[in-house]
Formats: sequence, structure tokens, C-alpha cells
Amino acid sequence: MIRALRILASNPLSLFGLLLVVLIVLVAILAPWIAPFPTHNGAVVDFAFANKAPGARNWMGTDLVGRDIFSRILYAYQISLTLGIVVLAIATPIGTVVGLIAGYSGGWLGTVLMRIVDVFLSIPPLVLAIAMMGVLEPTLTNAMLAVTVMWWPWYARLVYSVARSEREEGYVLAAEVIGANTAHITFREILPNCLPAIITKMTLDMGFVIIIASSLSFLGLGVQPPTPDLGSMVAEGARYLPDSWWLTVFPGLAILVAVFGFNLLGDGLRDVFGVDE
Amino acid sequence: MSSVLNINNLTLSFKTLMQRVDVLHGIDLRIEAGEKVALVGESGSGKSVTARIILGLLQETRSAVVHGSVLFDGKDINTLTRKERAALRGTAMSMIFQDPSSSLNPVFTIGHQFTEVLKRREAKISQADCKKRCLKALIEVAIPEPARVLSSYPFQLSGGMNQRVMIAMALANQPSLLLADEPGTALDVSVQAQTLKLMHKMVTNHNTAVLFISHNLGVVREFADRVYVIYRGNIVEDGPTAALFANPTHPYTRALMAAVPRITGTGLPQVPEFSDEFLAPRVSHGVNP
Amino acid sequence: MTLLSIKELSKTFRTPSGPVHAVREVSFAVNQGECLAIVGESGSGKTTLAHMILGVLARTSGELSFDEQPLPDKRTMANRQSIQLVQQNPLSSLNPKRTIGASVRLGLDTYQIGDKSARWKTVGAALDAVGLEPSLGKRVPATLSGGQRQRVGIARALACNPRLLVLDEPTSALDVLVQARILQLLNTLRRERGLTYIFITHDLAVVRNVADRVAVFQSGQLVELNSTDAIFTDPQSTYTRQLIGAVPVVDDTELALRNKLVGNQ
Repeated sequence: MIRALRILASNPLSLFGLLLVVLIVLVAILAPWIAPFPTHNGAVVDFAFANKAPGARNWMGTDLVGRDIFSRILYAYQISLTLGIVVLAIATPIGTVVGLIAGYSGGWLGTVLMRIVDVFLSIPPLVLAIAMMGVLEPTLTNAMLAVTVMWWPWYARLVYSVARSEREEGYVLAAEVIGANTAHITFREILPNCLPAIITKMTLDMGFVIIIASSLSFLGLGVQPPTPDLGSMVAEGARYLPDSWWLTVFPGLAILVAVFGFNLLGDGLRDVFGVDE
Repeated sequence: MSSVLNINNLTLSFKTLMQRVDVLHGIDLRIEAGEKVALVGESGSGKSVTARIILGLLQETRSAVVHGSVLFDGKDINTLTRKERAALRGTAMSMIFQDPSSSLNPVFTIGHQFTEVLKRREAKISQADCKKRCLKALIEVAIPEPARVLSSYPFQLSGGMNQRVMIAMALANQPSLLLADEPGTALDVSVQAQTLKLMHKMVTNHNTAVLFISHNLGVVREFADRVYVIYRGNIVEDGPTAALFANPTHPYTRALMAAVPRITGTGLPQVPEFSDEFLAPRVSHGVNP
Repeated sequence: MTLLSIKELSKTFRTPSGPVHAVREVSFAVNQGECLAIVGESGSGKTTLAHMILGVLARTSGELSFDEQPLPDKRTMANRQSIQLVQQNPLSSLNPKRTIGASVRLGLDTYQIGDKSARWKTVGAALDAVGLEPSLGKRVPATLSGGQRQRVGIARALACNPRLLVLDEPTSALDVLVQARILQLLNTLRRERGLTYIFITHDLAVVRNVADRVAVFQSGQLVELNSTDAIFTDPQSTYTRQLIGAVPVVDDTELALRNKLVGNQ
């Protein structure tokens, strides 16, 4: 753990990524207390301050009905992070189990599982999600469902390839000679050796899930108003560019910062786990 | 008198963020023209990094700190520019590695790779000339059907055959020094024995000086004229092969020698993995030639 | 007394370029308490043979019996417990993400020998028997030297209390000083515990000093099987002579013996 932190700290970019991620998580959790206008996460209307440019009262300006953009961004981070965590918390175990079983057992079972995975992978992810959202109601839950369905096959692919190569290692042969059962070999011997790759991918993916979710809401298929969401904020504001630029630029920057932070951290973790002594 | 290679007080350490690790503590080593010299030691003794310094590769690694002089044909490798060092490799000095199959590029034919080697010395060599010299070199290392081998890819040939190709390529530009790092260790024992014999014959014919790096005392005894024993970054004993094997004097060399199982069946010796005596000062047999 | 008997054992692999006969109708017996060396180069079938003995590879045909009982491809836990393996590469044979103790304990967990505290005691005893501090059990393989890791590999096999150990090139990846110590250890353990060894190697000089009998394999076939003394005084097959001729020697008596056996090549 200490060694991991030291390697992470030795690369300024990864350290910066870690700081950004910690900051984003903190502001998301503390949103109700630190937001200047905590009630503005809902259907509040204050036309006296509608569509104001950034100033002393509203640091990032206000939207068309007078809600504080900065406050809404803090709440939107809550939604984005929840969505990312829930999606990955469901997609990762499914993909991991499928990849492990296919990778260790090989044979016809492995072939069948991986062909199913290939079918999912052959459909462009956003297209699949849009198609699902066309059938389902556009709610937060369904958005999470759609993103999860397109996400797990990537984990299956990753874990499959790591498990394939781990299977050839001597420690797997040792366990087979002793007669340990398949569950022990897959989950207790091989899985721990796949974890570094999985954790690294999860960190990188947090950024991508946030982008995909934002894209869905940008298209009107994700989180619905009045719930604040970075993607729908950008979408609404886009119509008023360039005059009311703050409507688009700040939520856009918020997406950028989150994605940037998770990617830098993910790259750093890759270095941490890549070092094998 | 000038030696092909003259290493004086060579030290190497690796710097990391937190610490400095000393790897070589002042190596002196000399190789005369046409001489076959072995550097023998265990893993981590510093023998392979020495080869990488002679090739001028380690000097280009930022974390490596190299001091002392490495005179090759009178020029100090440590003070040459990156470009000058690169120009020496594959022309005036060449190298044979442990695993022949992985040191040849799998996506090019032997002929293509051989041509690249020849072009390093003579950039404007004609196609016909090139082919003639490749064939001649392959015949010299006793490769049957050299024309077929030239149009083959490395994976189509056996390990022993690839090793012969490597030897032919390494000697094609008439280098004055050949570095052989554990050659043939990845091969079967009988193939290894054959290729070592062949290599011995080839370098003798070409009068090429060799630095032969190995952990195997038996192989060293059969190949080298002179031996340096390296332990934890220090040369502990050196001398003509016959003298050193007849009368190993340094405690480490003696332990190493005793630990080698004999086909005469003298049993398993009781030798320690480490002893303070192993750190005793260097022993030199006789005068260097 | 015969411990392991092998009759007309064959293994054929089906590959896209046709069948490969890795082991062809091999028959021999391993006696209780002996060290039988299996010598051969790559492609000799020695690893395939070992995997069939260990029950991790199904045979194509032939019979195996252990202690006069037939040894099927589908092993019982008792079958597995009595035949254990020590591998060549001590780095890859230990799971980098598990502690030494957990690796050594795997057999005990699998065969359900003793309760939890008894298992830890056995692990400690096994580590002690191979000359390691029992406290090493808490560490991960990366913090151990190559020689220490190989000792752990031996301890893992010993903890199962086996009768037959298959040693697959147990010292080829080690330095010569470390090799000497490990070979000593293996000799002592065999004597003290009455173990039987199948010692797979390509190094004839090692074989000369550890084996009672030698089986020479070439292209999946047994070409010569004799006592170690006989192999090194009067080798019968050309291939055995060729292997002896390739051994690098370090002293003059060895050289004289090699020249006498195979002529001055």
C-alpha cells in the first residue's frame, strides 16, 4: 500500500489525477453543505436572477430559470459518480466471472461464452445504449441498465486474456497436481492475479461511463429534468451559445475535469500494478 | 601493445529516487586480439551488465552511473557519443545472445536480416555481392542448403540452426570483438555442445577476440583461453584457463568448482551458499599475455 | 518392491498438422525408495510422461498402477496426496498473490488433513524441514531468493506427506552453489522419510550423483534403462553416449572418463 502510494506519488500527473478524483468525490458528498444554493438541485424558479453571467453572487452564473450553476454542478457530480459506481459495480463482477470461467476452462464452454461476448462487442456501445433507451423509459435507473449492458463484455474480454496467460503459470499446475477444485483455482489462485488489471480498468472507465451517461442525457435519453446532470446541462445551454456561454462551458469543464482526473489516476495505477518484482 | 578491449576500474551503480545500488566495484579486464576470454559468475554477479557497458548500451540508460574506462581498439566507449557507439555495434563488435530464436526477427527472412547486417558495414553493397557473401558465410557454419535457409523465416528453422545463423551473422562483418552472453543456454545440451565447438572453430579461423559470458564452468573450460571469475561486482580470480582450473585459489572459485556435479560420481559436496571468505581479495594466475 | 508401474503408456496429441506421438508405449517400474532419473532433451516426452503420472493429463492408452492399485486418470484424493510435484521454475510455481504459508497449506486444505491449527503446525514443520524459518510463511514469494523459493516448492510437496515425488528439473534454474544445497536437501529428505523420486533432468552430471537408476528418453521412447553405475561405465545406446559426450566437464578425471565412454569427439 505504502509502496503503491510512493510509485503513484513519483509521477506528478498521477498524483494530480488522484487529487482531482479525491476533490470530486468530496464535493459530491458534501454538495448539500457546500453548495451556495442547496435547494437549486430541483425545480426552483427565481426569475429575478435568470440567465446571469458569472459574478459575486453566482460564481458560474445562473441558468434560464435563475438556478445557480455552480450548485447544480456539485449535485450533478453526485449523480455522475453514483451512476459510474453502480454501473461498474454490476458490470465488473459479471464480466470478471464470465472471463474467468471462459479463460480457465477453455474448451467449448469458453468458446461459447466468448462468442456471446463478441456479439455484444460488435455493436457500437452508444448505439446499443440508444437503442435500449428508445424502448425503455428515460430514467436514471434505465440509463444505468443500458450502460451496464454495454459495459460488462469489455471486462469479460480483459479478464479472459489475463486468465488465459495466468493459466499457463506453474502455480496453476501446482494446484491441479494437488487436486484443488476448479472454484479454488479460478477464484482463489487466478482471480487475485487479474485484480490489478481490473482495478486499473475500472478507474479509467469511471471517466468513460461519465461521458457515455452525459452523452445519453445530452440526447435527452438519460436523467430527466429537473435533476441536474452534466450532459443535459450542456445540451440545454448549447442553444444559447455564444451569448450565454456559462450555461455550457462550466458543465462541460466539469465533465472534462472528472474524466481527466480518473484517466490520470488510472494511468498511474497501471504503473503501480505493472511493476512486478 | 594495444589490446582489443581494456577495461580499467569500471564501476556501475543504479540510481533510483530513494537509493543508489552499486553493481560493479572496479572491474579490470583485458582482451588481446584473437583471444578467447571468459567472464564466469552466478546470476546477479554483474557479468551481463558488463557486456551491456562494453556494447555502450547501459551508458544510455538514465539511471545508470558508469565510471572508469572501457577502451575498445583504443577508444573509450564511455566518452564516445551515442552515435559513435551505435556505429561500432554490428560492425567492429558484435553479439550473440542466449536464445537465438528470440534474437532473430520473426517477420523477416534470414536473407533479409543477413543483408541488413552486411549493409551496416557497407551501405552500398550490391544485391548479387550480398547474396554471395551470405551463402559463403552460411556454408562456413556448415549449414546444409544455404539458399533455402536464406529464404526461410527463423521459426521454420531449428534452434540449433538459428544459433548457427546467429554465429554467421555475428562474424560476417569481421568484428574485432565478439560478445557471447550465455550462448546456447536455451538450447538442448547436445546442440549446445555442437554450436560451441563450431563457434570456437569460427572465431579461431577469423582471429576474432571473444568475451564469453557464462555461469557454466565446464563450458568455459572447453571454450576459453583465459578466465575471469566475477562475484558480486568484483573480479575475484583470473588467469589462463588451464592454470585456473588446475589450481583454483580464491575461496569463491574453489566453492564454485567444488559445487559442480561430476560425471565421475564423486558425490554431492558440502559447500555453503555464502561465506565471508568469498569476499577475499583478488587472485591472479601468472602474467597476462 | 515396485511403487509405481507403467505399462505401455502412450500419449498422442491431435494437432492441426496431424497427430504428435509425445509418449509411445513406455513401460517401466519405479521401486519403493529409489531415485529414478528420467533424462532427455526437449521433445523427448519427459514432461508429458510426468503429467500423466501426476494425473493432470489424460493418457491415450496404457496402464498405470501405484502400490499395486490401478491409477486411473480420474484420481481420488488419496491418489493425489501420495504423488506430488516439484517444478523447475521456482518463481512461476508460487502464486505471487498468496503468502508462502497459504501456498504450502493448499494440499492440507484440499485433503482436509487436521484442523486449522494442526495445518499451520504442519506448514511450519514442512518449512523447517527444508531449512526455512517458519516465519517466512507470512511473506510473499517476491521477497524470497530463488533458492528459498525452490525450498518452498519442496515444502509444499512435503506438507502433503507424499510417497512419490516427481522432481521436474528442480535445480536447472538455480545457480550452482544453490543447486548443490538443494540436491543435498533432496538427498537427506529421501533418506529420512523413505521417499521415492522420479528426477527429471537433462543434466547428466547431476544424475550421476543423485540417481540410483537412469531412464533415457528420446522422441517419446525409452531408449535405455539401467543402473546409474552401468550407464556411466558402459552406456548401451548411441543416444546415451551422445548425451554423455555433450556434458561440459571441469576436471581432467572427468575428461578422461568422458573420452573413454564416447571417444574423443
